[in-house]
Amino acid sequence: MDILLTALANVVTPTALLTLVLGTLAGILIGALPGLSSTMGVALCIPITFNMPPDLALILLGAVYVSSVYGGSVTAILLRTPGTDASIATALDGYPMAAAGRGGEAIGMATLASLFGGLVSVIVLLAIAPPLSKVALAFGPQEYTWLAIFGLVTIVGVVSERPVKGVLSAALGLILATVGLDAFTGEQRFTFGQGELFDGVPLLPVLIGLFSVSQAFNLCIPRDGGVLSGEAQRMQGRSLPYWADLKRCLRTLCRSSVIGSVVGILPGAGTSIAAFISYNEARRHSSHPETFGKGEIEGVAASEAANNAVTGGTLIPTLTLGIPGNAVTAVFVGGLTIHGMIPGPSLFTQHAESTYTLIVSLLFANLMFAVLGLWLCRYMVKVTRVPGAVLGPMILLFSLVGTYALRNEMFDVWLTMACGLMGYFMERWRYPAAPLVIALILGPILEVNFRRAMQISQWDLTTFFTRPLSLALCLLVVLALVIPLWRRWRQRQCAVA
Amino acid sequence: MQLSISRCGGVALAALALSVGVSPSALAEDYPNKPIQMIVSYGAGGSTDTMARIFAKYAEEALGQRVVVVNKPGAGGELGWVHLANADPDGYTLGLINSPSVETHPFTRADTVGYSLDDLQPLANVVTDPGVLAVAADSPWQSLEELVAAVRAEPRSVTVSHEGVGGDDHLAALNFAAAAGIDLNFVSFNGNAEATAALLGGHIDAFEGNMSEAAAHINEGEVRGLAVWSNQRMEAIADVPTGAEQGYEVVSSASRGLALPAGVPDDVYARLLEVTREVIENPEFEAELARLNMPLDPLYGDEYAASLKASQDSLKAVWDQDPWIEP
Repeated sequence: MDILLTALANVVTPTALLTLVLGTLAGILIGALPGLSSTMGVALCIPITFNMPPDLALILLGAVYVSSVYGGSVTAILLRTPGTDASIATALDGYPMAAAGRGGEAIGMATLASLFGGLVSVIVLLAIAPPLSKVALAFGPQEYTWLAIFGLVTIVGVVSERPVKGVLSAALGLILATVGLDAFTGEQRFTFGQGELFDGVPLLPVLIGLFSVSQAFNLCIPRDGGVLSGEAQRMQGRSLPYWADLKRCLRTLCRSSVIGSVVGILPGAGTSIAAFISYNEARRHSSHPETFGKGEIEGVAASEAANNAVTGGTLIPTLTLGIPGNAVTAVFVGGLTIHGMIPGPSLFTQHAESTYTLIVSLLFANLMFAVLGLWLCRYMVKVTRVPGAVLGPMILLFSLVGTYALRNEMFDVWLTMACGLMGYFMERWRYPAAPLVIALILGPILEVNFRRAMQISQWDLTTFFTRPLSLALCLLVVLALVIPLWRRWRQRQCAVA
Repeated sequence: MQLSISRCGGVALAALALSVGVSPSALAEDYPNKPIQMIVSYGAGGSTDTMARIFAKYAEEALGQRVVVVNKPGAGGELGWVHLANADPDGYTLGLINSPSVETHPFTRADTVGYSLDDLQPLANVVTDPGVLAVAADSPWQSLEELVAAVRAEPRSVTVSHEGVGGDDHLAALNFAAAAGIDLNFVSFNGNAEATAALLGGHIDAFEGNMSEAAAHINEGEVRGLAVWSNQRMEAIADVPTGAEQGYEVVSSASRGLALPAGVPDDVYARLLEVTREVIENPEFEAELARLNMPLDPLYGDEYAASLKASQDSLKAVWDQDPWIEP
């Protein structure tokens, strides 16, 4: 308890609070801009922290991390241009809400859900990190294989309106996921000798192309029903969700926060998996699943609570085991070691003060982005009143500059443009883009873990069913597939009777 | 069009400068008069990037100019090295090169690769991070001998992680397997975090990686180092015996050094070499790297170039006999 009070005292100093505010603002901006990922934001801050005292350095890195994950939701909702893959699921319902003039409400819900998910995960980190870190170790290749399949099953939820087109889109994503050097043999697959493709089709250029650039084209080429229309112009000032909506979403918030925290603990699983699984679970448990994808506020809540819960989750194995939970926390490890703090159990003994200062500051960072978010909300929604002809080119510019900044490669810029065109026509012909991106993210995870499992078990397929955790995940996948079918069958029975 | 004009202008200016008789050393006195770009062929936040940024911090002080780190990750370093090889050799672009990948790409990807070692002018090696073979603390094996015995009893039963086909981990483990006359079951991982989690979780039997990544876990006692593939024991993990001590003459490491595009003027090269030496010999720089468990291994100029060439030749000889990537 003493250590918590010391940590609290470290955070509530003028310099620390100022660092928090600046880090939070920078993070929101980084998250909102397409192409500037959380990883890059934290990496860019590391040189700045070289000459800072360790406590302040950690506070800055933590604030940038959590608020950048939140920042992505703002543009995802208002413009349907998710800055990172973490907020694609947010756009599914957030943008239809904005289009119906409820953008402020959607951002309000996203902010509160992010706060909720973020706080839950930090409290989990604070209270039960060491035992929970075992979860990261319990997951072997077999379990990751099932997790990837579970993620693919969520596509069903996204495409329930147009199943055939959704499956085609996902299949294209899986095909694209095979491009690159084979991780086990080093063979080149569909790279055409192009060095830029050796690591696979880069995710962010595809994502930014399909969502942001295609949206920029949409804004520049108005068609009926295409973009924010009259409704959005008559935006009401409301920037907080209704109390009744909040109460209705409470179970979803709790469920998503748990899913986010757990998925966050697993190294190499990824934020978007957590968001999509939570989104799908919310839809599955809903009494009116048909409203999802058309502006259901619960969908926004599910996705945002989950992606912010991931932040605390990823720090659990990072701090307790020295195994970073994702790319951002891998950069974090670099930042810690520069200040002489080697991630691992010693962090909670030798460097307890700095470690707890970081964790306590994360609570503050979550509150900070929520306050800033709610305050800025009424100004941010005004962006939807900017004429498309002005907004479109601006989004295009930011998207292309952001893509180039990813790895300073013109190839990625051309790829983004190509995906933008593809996304534009996919939307016109009503092919959903989200399945393509989910499949592109999950494809490599599925392939590599399946092959690892095969290698380890010496080509014994039963390995996927004989491990208790693996079997449990298998059953979850089966349930997720069967329950909707069974429900539909029962409804039909009732209708007949 | 504009480009060709400015190029012509440049040639004309140079010709003029020569005709007036400005000695080349005047160039070096003026160098550097603008920021220097430093290409890192791996992502921001990785160990190469961290080292580069620390080096840049010290080099800025010595050069009196900004040293800007530019990340060009991709294709196991190849994208960045192609960029470095094609940059203007004016001393305003330098880059990090990583062994053994920088030596192996030119022959393992002979059909598609965009650079050769001759396109690069090596400046200095900075860090050599030896390979480590490790097992979880609860593993029954205390030495390489016991691991080898286990494989002999049941061939291919032991799973070993590496972080990429043809990378230094994979090559080290292949060399060890060849030296011991055994067949290991290789499992590829994307980076150190996933491999360490798999080792600690008992999903794989052994882990092949680099000392800088494994040292913390070894010193915490969660992981037992069976061997370090260096000529002598390393300070950061003093209890871990070398391969040679146990009868397996395997030496393997990942090295990080600096290089320029080939054709940099001699005086500029000399100035950069001097600055690099100054930074590397700075005890504060060494201390910062030591905290990251990155052992300094300075090798300058021609000596460094010769060692890269020698390493490429010996790796190529192995490849020609038994390629580790399917062609």
